[in-house]
Formats: sequence, structure tokens, C-alpha cells
Amino acid sequence: MHRNLSSSQIQRLFQHGDRPWNIGVIAAALIVPALMLAIGWMLWRDSAAARLAYGWNFLTPTLNASWNPVADEFQAWPFIYGTMLTSITALILSLPVSLGAAIFLAEISPNWLYQPLSWMAELLAAIPSVIYGLWGIFIFLPKVVTPIGNALFLMLGSTPWLGKFFEGPVPVSGSSRLAASLILAIMITPTIAAVTRDVFLAIPITQREASLALGATHWETIWQVLFPYGLSGILGAVILGLGRALGETMAVTMVIGNSIEGSLSLLRPGYTMSSLIANEFAEATGILHSQALIEIGLILFIMTLILNMAARYLVWRVARRNPQEART
Amino acid sequence: MDMFLDTFLLDFQNRNSHHNFPSLIDYSVTETAEEDKTKKVSFLVPASQIDSFTPSPQDTKYKASILNFSLFYGKFQALRNISMDIMANKITAIIGPSGCGKSTLLRSLNRMNDLVPNIRIQGQILLEGENIYAPGVDIVGVRRRVGMVFQRPNPFPKSIYDNIAYGPRLYGMRRRALLDEIVERSLQQAALWDEVKDKLHHSGMALSGGQQQRLCIARALAVQPEMILMDEPASALDPVATLKIEELMQSLKSEYTIVIVTHNMQQAARVSDYTAFMMIDNPQNRTGVLVEYGPTAQVFTNPQNKQTEDYVTGRFG
Amino acid sequence: MTQFSQSRLDSIDIAFYHTRLSYNRRKITNQIMLIFTGILTSLALLPLVWIISYVVYKGGQYLSLDFFTQMPKPLGMEGGGVLHAIEGTIILTVLGGVIAIPPALLAAIYAAYHSNTILGIAVRFGTDVLSGVPSIIVGLFVYALVVKNQGHYSALAGGIALAIIIFPTIVRTTEEMIKLTPRTLREGSLALGAPEWKTTLSVTLVAAANGIVTGILLGLARASGETAPLLFTALGNENYEIGKIISSGVANRQGLLAILNRIFEQPVDSLPLTLWKYAQQPYPERISQSWAAALVLMILILVLNIATRIWLQRRMSRLQGR
Repeated sequence: MHRNLSSSQIQRLFQHGDRPWNIGVIAAALIVPALMLAIGWMLWRDSAAARLAYGWNFLTPTLNASWNPVADEFQAWPFIYGTMLTSITALILSLPVSLGAAIFLAEISPNWLYQPLSWMAELLAAIPSVIYGLWGIFIFLPKVVTPIGNALFLMLGSTPWLGKFFEGPVPVSGSSRLAASLILAIMITPTIAAVTRDVFLAIPITQREASLALGATHWETIWQVLFPYGLSGILGAVILGLGRALGETMAVTMVIGNSIEGSLSLLRPGYTMSSLIANEFAEATGILHSQALIEIGLILFIMTLILNMAARYLVWRVARRNPQEART
Repeated sequence: MDMFLDTFLLDFQNRNSHHNFPSLIDYSVTETAEEDKTKKVSFLVPASQIDSFTPSPQDTKYKASILNFSLFYGKFQALRNISMDIMANKITAIIGPSGCGKSTLLRSLNRMNDLVPNIRIQGQILLEGENIYAPGVDIVGVRRRVGMVFQRPNPFPKSIYDNIAYGPRLYGMRRRALLDEIVERSLQQAALWDEVKDKLHHSGMALSGGQQQRLCIARALAVQPEMILMDEPASALDPVATLKIEELMQSLKSEYTIVIVTHNMQQAARVSDYTAFMMIDNPQNRTGVLVEYGPTAQVFTNPQNKQTEDYVTGRFG
Repeated sequence: MTQFSQSRLDSIDIAFYHTRLSYNRRKITNQIMLIFTGILTSLALLPLVWIISYVVYKGGQYLSLDFFTQMPKPLGMEGGGVLHAIEGTIILTVLGGVIAIPPALLAAIYAAYHSNTILGIAVRFGTDVLSGVPSIIVGLFVYALVVKNQGHYSALAGGIALAIIIFPTIVRTTEEMIKLTPRTLREGSLALGAPEWKTTLSVTLVAAANGIVTGILLGLARASGETAPLLFTALGNENYEIGKIISSGVANRQGLLAILNRIFEQPVDSLPLTLWKYAQQPYPERISQSWAAALVLMILILVLNIATRIWLQRRMSRLQGR
């Protein structure tokens, strides 16, 4: 029967090859959502035993949590705390710098400077995480983190409430949550700056003109018109940066000290969710141990997922508001 | 009136060779320009009040004078040797085919062109006798004295109140009562008060296009400029909203000097007292030049220049 | 229009008179803040200079030809190189590219031409979100997907992990580039009766090739520096040497497929993985090697980044000049 098909019939059946092509294209497109779902589902499935064994107790905030593979006792709080503390500190440290850099790039820098500076920011973002870590261990920690940490300890270590976050002593090596925060701040700055810069560039030039024509100075225009205009996009950039910081693994693992101790302090060594997985997963032999690690991965995944979706939505909203009047 | 026009025309025709007409330009307020006090007075007293003391047309002042003004974007010359006087408390329209540099000329009057990189100018623009392109001139101050309304309404994404209070707040005004008064007065001057007085704290973006444009006019009025530049203010609006803007311009000219760029000749004929016709000198270098400038009635009914006649009668290109 | 009384007008005028006094302060604030943003910009970029100069300084001291051509020596012994890691980096990166590029291009074509369908939006949104998923999570995912099923760590698993990492980058750049190609080009070909797939492959993708290649190269540059997704997929293997595998395969009269299979089925090291392990060892020799590995990695990545950007900019400006 196949022999009887004429070539024109075959062509019609396949629409000159367009039908298989379209199927292929759609299948490839489906990979994207499928991948997202598969990652989520796999993390959910492979952490079932741990979720069953520990329930919500796994997540309870507590200062003396235990993480004991031998006794199969696992609590995630120290790692969640470490991740949140380092990421938020990094964000606070990075925010003024990245905002200033974005404003400088988008609004102030002359044309001849814009391209090289943007490239430098992209190169900074392109340097592998492990190189940050290496530089951190041997250069940045002893030269910057230890002195800063000691100074913070002396200044704030004995204040009544805030002091809890600045308890010492800082380890001689400098390995601490502060070190992780500072390295993270350096790493997320190019991301936040680049997205914020694009948000500024998407603001219609008519907004600038309106403000300048009223006799506003350059800075007043930037701060009182452009900044509020792009606020939701900038917020998106910030959240995006936070997402990066939460998931960052190698550099943090190398400088945070990887220690579970019941301290709130920024100046003490700590652990993050990602660095715990990086350090223990390959050697986790017990089922509950590896499942507990996967559950931590699940929590991390959900956190970054929510942050990323929120960030993209906010950035997208600014870009959509005035699509045809954008400046570039 | 006729007598004045004759003087003016004579003056205008001589302009290309001579640039000093002390008899007509009143420099009184700027003779001692370096003295702060005089400067402040000059911008504090609205031109309308000066006029009310001396109603005779001979005393009508030049608000601004463009003297032999040329402008370059890099190598491209956008304007060449433009000279014209802008009369106080009149509406001056600049017309011409698109790309002839009329917006560029308008934007030169409050130095908005400074935003464009690689820009270079020659000649002078005098505002009340002071060259706004002189070195050391305070650009921010110039823009505050010369307000601007743009082609498309561009309210800030803030409330109506905050849109209008933006300018005064920049200058350090914080007193609520005073700001309330400025907002109300500006909105009334812009004939928008009745429509928005109950929703002053709603977003300015939520208004209709015509209302947004009047909001932008009110915003410009709130900083008490001496001159208002309008860059095709009605081009994005429907006929009804356009009419409102035109009526508004008429009611504003008692207190402000208005310069409007339009490519709508009927509009220029309807609203303006003086009309300037610009064109590109030739299709190769596309440099804008001033072809004719005079009272609107004359430019439209009895143009002195063949090109003007062709353009206003619609025989152009 | 309501007429305001003269006295009220005066009060506003006087208020403006007084506000003029703060002019200088405003101008000084303006100057200070503009300069301050410049300072912040240099502060943001300072680490770049700092890191690069230290890596060049420390790594340059150790770097020699041996470093590229020798296998590692046992702990505590001097000398030796990271040939295994260089080979592994190449294998993993190429594998990641080969796995990711074809479906990424197809998905980008879909997203570019169906940007308003649900799936189109899902692709765009999904790639954005996927690019924000921590790379360590991708490692966990591939562990469950490949390593657990195969029963051992392998170069293949590492390649798949890297493919997932670079997939969103390639999709997004390709999509943007396709959207930049003029519609008329495509319509011209379709109007001649060419089927859609032929048009897309021979007209659209060719027209957008510069941008797509840039996106792919930048994606590969990123993949070659990734560590976290390899920790429990490729794992690391100090005895990995392609030359040996091939020669022993040839000696045993194995076919090409069998040899390739042996290359892909073994655990493998990569430069960042080696760097990470060596940096944490208490042997000065290993730490020096770690700096040297950092230098090699950084040169690889920076050269790829700078070269592709310069190349793209040249091509773009030439196209615009036409």
C-alpha cells in the first residue's frame, strides 16, 4: 500500500515537511514548562520519606537545631536562617552600589563610557563562582572581612538588641556569614545594576523632558521622577538579585565556614541551604539523610521560584507600560 | 495697531543685517543683570502687570529675541541664522513642513536641546535681554522661566495634585496651604479645576488625553514661567480637546507669552498673533531657515515671500 | 475663571522669591549626587579589577606548559598538571552544547512566532524562571534523572546538567534575534512557495546567525565555569584521560561508538571542580595549582565573552552601515 502513495500525496500528508517541523517545534517549546514541572515534581517525590518522618518540625525555627546523619535527626532551620541572613545582608549592602551604578550608566555616563562600563559589569557577572570563592578565601577574607568583622564586633557587639547579630569573635580566617554576605553582594551587584539600568532606559524620554522643563536639576529628575516611575521594575531587579543570592553555592560554601552553631551572629561561621547540599549530598548514604537534603533543595527551589516569578512580573510591567515610547 | 505693525515689519526686514534695535528692545530690567535684586524683580512681576500700566501698543515688549541663531547636531546643521523677536503677551506660531527645524528652534528657547549629545550653537537667544546661551548661565533657572508643553501629554505617574506641586516643591515650597493655593490656581488657569477638583489625589494618568494635556499646562503654569513653549500641543488630541486647548491659550496670553509649534495651519491662523514660517533651505543639507515672520493676518493673507504663499495656500510640495 | 485677589497672588510670588535662595543648594546637591553615582559605579567594578589582577598574579606564577599537558601527581608531590580537568571541561561543555542547542533553537523559534499563545508565554516566562533556578538544584535534578537510573556518576550526566543551565540563555537570545529579523525577509521566502521549515532554517536563522552564535558562545562560557551542577553528576575523576581511553579502545579493537561510550560513561573532572577541590586542600602546591586553574578558566571565559561581544558589535555596525 505504501508503494501506491504518489509523491504528491506524501507531500500533502506532511504538508511539504511542515507538519513534522511544527510538531518538533512545539515539542521543543514544551520542554521548558516540562522541565520546570519535572524539577519540582522530582524534588517533591524524592523527599517524601523525609517529609513524612519530620513533618513541619523540619522547618521549626530554633537556635539549637540538630543535623545528625548518624542519629537521623534533621532540622533545616540553621540553613534557612543562614541563607536568609546572608542573602538579605548582601542585598542591603549591594543596593546602594548597584542602584548608583545603574543610574550612572543609564542617565549620566557619556556615550563613550557607557559601553566599556556595561561590558565590565557583564564580565563581573561572567566570572565563575569558584573564582570568587578562591579570591575570597585567600585575599578578600584576610584583607577585608576580618578587619571589618572585628571592627563591627567592637562597635556593636555589646549593644543590647542588635548585639546578637554582631557577637564575636570573628574567626581568624575570616570565614563567616559576613564573608558570605560581602561576596554575595559583589556577585549580585552586576545583576541588579544591569536590570535596573534597563528599567531606566525603558522610561520614556518625555518623562525626563517634563521634569527638566519645569526647572528640575538632573538629579531631581532622576530621583523624583524616574525612580518612582521605574520603582516596580527596580523592585523586580532587587528580587532577582535576592534570588541569585539565595541559590548561589560555590563561593558561599568556600567562605562561610560551614558550621552549624546556635548563633544568630553575622560574624560567626554558618551554613546555607545550598552549601549544605554541595557539601553533603554526594556523601549522603542514609535514605533519610539524602531525602532531608532534597527537601532542603525543595524549599530552596520554591523560594527562588516565587522570587523569580515576582521579579519577572514586576520588570515586565514597567516594560509594558510604555512600549513604543521607550528611549532606546 | 497698524502703526505698530509697520514699525515691526520694518524692523523685521532689517533684521538679517542688523541685530541691535535698542529703541525697541527694553533692557531696563536687565541693565544691571549681575545684581540679584533686579533679576528677581524681572521674573517676579508677570509681564501682564507691566502691560496693564502701559496699555499702548508701542510699548509692547520683546519677551525674547533670537539673534542670528544656528544649531548643529555634530556635522549636521539643523538651523541657520535665525533671527526673530518674540512679543510679550502674544501668541507666536511657528509653522512649516515637517523636518524644517521648528521644534528644534522651540526647544532652543529653554535649552531643552542640551539633552541631545554633540550639539553646538552659534548666535544668541535673549530672554528679557539676557543671553540664555552665555557661559555660566543657569540652565535650570532658564527652564523654570520658560515652561514647556510637549507633543504628547506626559503627566508623571503621580496624583493630579502631586503633578502640579512637583515644580513648586522642587523650589523648596513645603507649606501645604501655599501648595494647595498654587494647585488650585494653576488648575483654574488651565481650565481644568472644575473637572478634577474632587479627584485631586487620583492619578494624573487616569485622565483623558485632552485633560492630561491641560494638566501638563497647569503643571507648567504652577512654577510661574514667563513664557510657555508648546510643541504641537494638540497633535495627539481629538477636535473637541483641541478646541479647549486653543481657548485656553487665548485666556493665558494676558499673563504669559506663548510660542507654539504647529503643523496645522488653520490652528496657527486661529490662535496666533504672529506667525513664523520655516523651511529647509535645500533638500540636500536639510538645514532649517526662517523664511518669513510677521503678524499672522499678513502671513496668511498677504505673504511677502513666494514660498510662504505656496505653503499657506497648500500648493507646497 | 476665578479671579484671585492681588494679595493672594503676591503671597505666592513672595514664596517663589524666597525659594530662589535654595538654588545653590539644589545645584550643589545635584553635583554631589551625580559624582557620587560615579563613585558607586567604580566601587561596583573594583572587585573585577581586584580579582583579575590577583588571579593573573598568583596563577601566572605557577602556569607552565606542564600544567596543560600533565596528569595530576599524587598528593604532596610537586609538579603535575590538570590535563584531565581541561579535557573534562571540553567534553562537558561540548556535550552540554550539543544536547541543549537543537531543542533550544526550536523552542526559541516557537516562542518568537507564537509570542501570544499560552505555550509561547509559558516558554518566555519559563525560560526566565528556569534561568533563576539555583544551579545546585539542577544538579539534584539530574542526579535523580540520570545518575540514579544509570547507577553511576558520568560525563553524560554532567553534560545534561550543563545543558539545562545554558538552555534558557540560548532560547532567550535566539528568540530576541529572530524577532529582530525583518518580517519581510520571511514573507518573501514564504511567498515564493518555500515551506515554513525551509524558510526558518535557511532564511530566518541565517539572518539571525550572528546573534544566535553569540548567545550560544556566552552560554557555553557560562557552562564552562559552572561547578555546583557537576558536584553530583560528573563528580570528578583524576584518572580521566581521553588519550588513554582512545588508545586502549583501539588496542582492544573497539568501535567508535564503544569508545565514545567509554568517554561519556565515566565520571569526569572539570577545571572549576578541580579548582574547588584543590583550594580546600592544605597543600601549598595544590593551592598554587588552584590559582593556575582559575587563571586558565578566567582567560577562557573572558576571552569568549569579550571576543563574541566585539565580533557581534562589528557585525552589527557593519549591517547598520549598509
